[in-house]
Amino acid sequence: MDVLIIALATAATIGRILVLIALSVLSGWGLAYLAVKSRKFENAYVPFVNVLESIPVIAFLPIVLLVFIQGLGGFWGVEVAADFLVFDAVSWNVWIGAYQAFKTVPEHLLDVTENYDFSFGRKMWKLYIPHSIPRVTSNLFSSFADAFFYITVSEVFTVGVTTYQTFGIGTLITNFVKQSNFIGVYYSLVFIAIGVAIVTGALNILSRRSVAKYGVDSTFEIKRHTHWSGRHFRAVDVFRLRTRYLSRYARKLTHPAHRGGFEGEHGPPTPIIHIMKVALKSLTFCMGIVLIIYLAYSSMLIAFAVPQKEWQAFLTSTPYLLYSMGADYLRVIVVTLAALALALTLGYLLATHHKASMTLAPIVQAVSAFPAPTYFPLVFIATYPLFSATLPPAYSTEIYVFTLGFLSCFYYVFFDFWIGVQAIPTQFWEVMRNYELSWGTKMRRIIIPGTFPYLVTGISSTINSAWAGIEIGEFWPNIDGTHSLEVRDGMMKYIGLNMSTGNVANAAWVSLLFAIVVAIYGIVFTRNLMDLARKKYVVEEGVYAA
Amino acid sequence: MTAVMISDNLSGERTKFELECRDLGYGYNKLKMVYDHVNLKTYENELVAIVGPTGCGKSTLIRNLGYLVAPTKGQVFLNGKEIKKPSAKISLIHQSIATFPWMTALENVKLSLISKKIDHDESDRISREMMELVGLTGFEDYYPKEMSGGMRQKIAIARALAASPEVLLMDEPFVHLDELTASSMRKEVYDLVFNPETSLKSAILVSHNLQEVVQLADRIYVMNGTPATLVDEIRVNIPRPRSQRDIVFFDYVDRLYKELNTNTNSK
Repeated sequence: MDVLIIALATAATIGRILVLIALSVLSGWGLAYLAVKSRKFENAYVPFVNVLESIPVIAFLPIVLLVFIQGLGGFWGVEVAADFLVFDAVSWNVWIGAYQAFKTVPEHLLDVTENYDFSFGRKMWKLYIPHSIPRVTSNLFSSFADAFFYITVSEVFTVGVTTYQTFGIGTLITNFVKQSNFIGVYYSLVFIAIGVAIVTGALNILSRRSVAKYGVDSTFEIKRHTHWSGRHFRAVDVFRLRTRYLSRYARKLTHPAHRGGFEGEHGPPTPIIHIMKVALKSLTFCMGIVLIIYLAYSSMLIAFAVPQKEWQAFLTSTPYLLYSMGADYLRVIVVTLAALALALTLGYLLATHHKASMTLAPIVQAVSAFPAPTYFPLVFIATYPLFSATLPPAYSTEIYVFTLGFLSCFYYVFFDFWIGVQAIPTQFWEVMRNYELSWGTKMRRIIIPGTFPYLVTGISSTINSAWAGIEIGEFWPNIDGTHSLEVRDGMMKYIGLNMSTGNVANAAWVSLLFAIVVAIYGIVFTRNLMDLARKKYVVEEGVYAA
Repeated sequence: MTAVMISDNLSGERTKFELECRDLGYGYNKLKMVYDHVNLKTYENELVAIVGPTGCGKSTLIRNLGYLVAPTKGQVFLNGKEIKKPSAKISLIHQSIATFPWMTALENVKLSLISKKIDHDESDRISREMMELVGLTGFEDYYPKEMSGGMRQKIAIARALAASPEVLLMDEPFVHLDELTASSMRKEVYDLVFNPETSLKSAILVSHNLQEVVQLADRIYVMNGTPATLVDEIRVNIPRPRSQRDIVFFDYVDRLYKELNTNTNSK
């Protein structure tokens, strides 16, 4: 047994995931800023992210094949293709989290940055990014978990008759399963557990510190690194020097007092500022247009991939497909409600009891980060005899689909709510204690409204991500070698069945219908609820110091 | 020569006290106490102030008195009965004004009545009454962000009073307000504390504004040192209404100033 190889593969996968998470955070900040500054961009961006978050990783394979494997080719082609698939798993919820945080920046803080004519860089560095850190941090748990959930289909994938793979624990597990090397699988799971424990432990510390430092009057004490080595301070100093230099440069470009044509603190903008503002506006507008064109183009590609003669058949099958979509939405709603119930109970307990958090949080994180597709067949083998003896087949199948759907997404709303509760200001907790509010009253009147922006993000990502788990559960041929998991009606089963039989056109038609519904949901649900959150539910605005 | 006789016979003529703490202390651990050995009492119809330099633990002490934060040692009694958990009978008004942005002013006030399980109409009546008392009639349906800092603080005061508390704890409630608003609020708060229409028996005000405490307090506890202790207790024998231009007023402020300075320098 090459334990060293397993250890290295685990390290490679974790390194890959962390780098891609960092990339998604950086890109998320930039896109979120564009979204809050331009309504046009926002109208395209929110449904775009919702659609991409809802479409399972596997749907990206044709793009990956075309752009990376054929375009780049060789080792780097496969590596970048795998990175793209991992990026797909980690980025969307981070993007939505950053957007949600930017959207709910307290107005009085925004006024300060406008008042002192902060440049784009300063606004980002001094306000938007610090304000978003607790919410972005809360999404890191989900991103890390999601990356591992899909690692076996991200690092190794088959297109046609060719299998592509890159070095990592996902590839290793897939190969062990193919070789029936269960010892190898178990060792891999142990190493994943160790890696997950280390990373989630670090994320735990990061989340508490980020809430302590960047949350408004949270109950957590700010930790300072007074015991750190001098080397750390030197590194920080170098970083500060660099940022100071950049800030000065930015100020020279943008701040009235540092520009050549000084016209007083509130004088009219100079040509360079005007040009930059016009450029930014044009950029956001262009990006919005590009996104809309991309969506339209993708939809057209899918639509025109269908031969004309099959249109009639598609239109005839549409009522049934809509019915199947309805059935799947019902499953998604049940999964989301279960995830929400867990978040409001266990999530609340963990957020308010430090000792419970220290013991139970790593368990929740481990469950969420463990790739369910790797161990679910074992769960099936262990439970199938009982279920088949006590329940009708349709019921037991629904339980498995629910379990897979739940495992694929429960942590989004759980971790978002968890961090949201921690960010509630101390003064609010004292008011709750002072007036002896019951758990129900606290939840209804203060905790849920106070964490509303976090819940919108969490529920949105939970709904979007439930599809992937449901897709795996609705159609899983030979799950244990002798039985297949298959629901009677379900859109995801329909897609999986058609993909496996090579009927891409049917899958494309239902995907198009689905994308339209998801885009509408993105505008109606995510954007409107986010608007409501901005108007009414910014908890930081509740603590007022005149 | 001082122009005022400052009585040190502090509790001779009063016997019925409301809130009392014995040997109270709070620390992050037993070796690192923020304050220690604090014994204080408030009597009926009395406003007591606690002064001390920034960081001496005044805000922590007031939270310990309401059991919003459990003290590390010592006991707290309300009407002679030991308390072990927060109670609406002891209401806190925060330094940073805490109102819930998603609730209207009226809903914010009603919040303190929820645990009392009174019917909706009665809760509405009490809340409107308290809003009238603090001068917010007509603003019931406004959201906090539509109101000024002074008005928000009035919501917090109305909320505290609606709970029918016996003791009101005030943690520098005027520190974030401009002087004109703070001045009128001080008068209003004093009138409220001793208004027979409210359930209040006594109030504790934490402040580092010496003029403010001499203006409002019947007795002043001076807190200082590391860990902080109560280093003095002063009764303010100035008839009301008090004027800051009164020479006696100046003498009290001066004495407090010296007390804080002496203790700070002698550390």
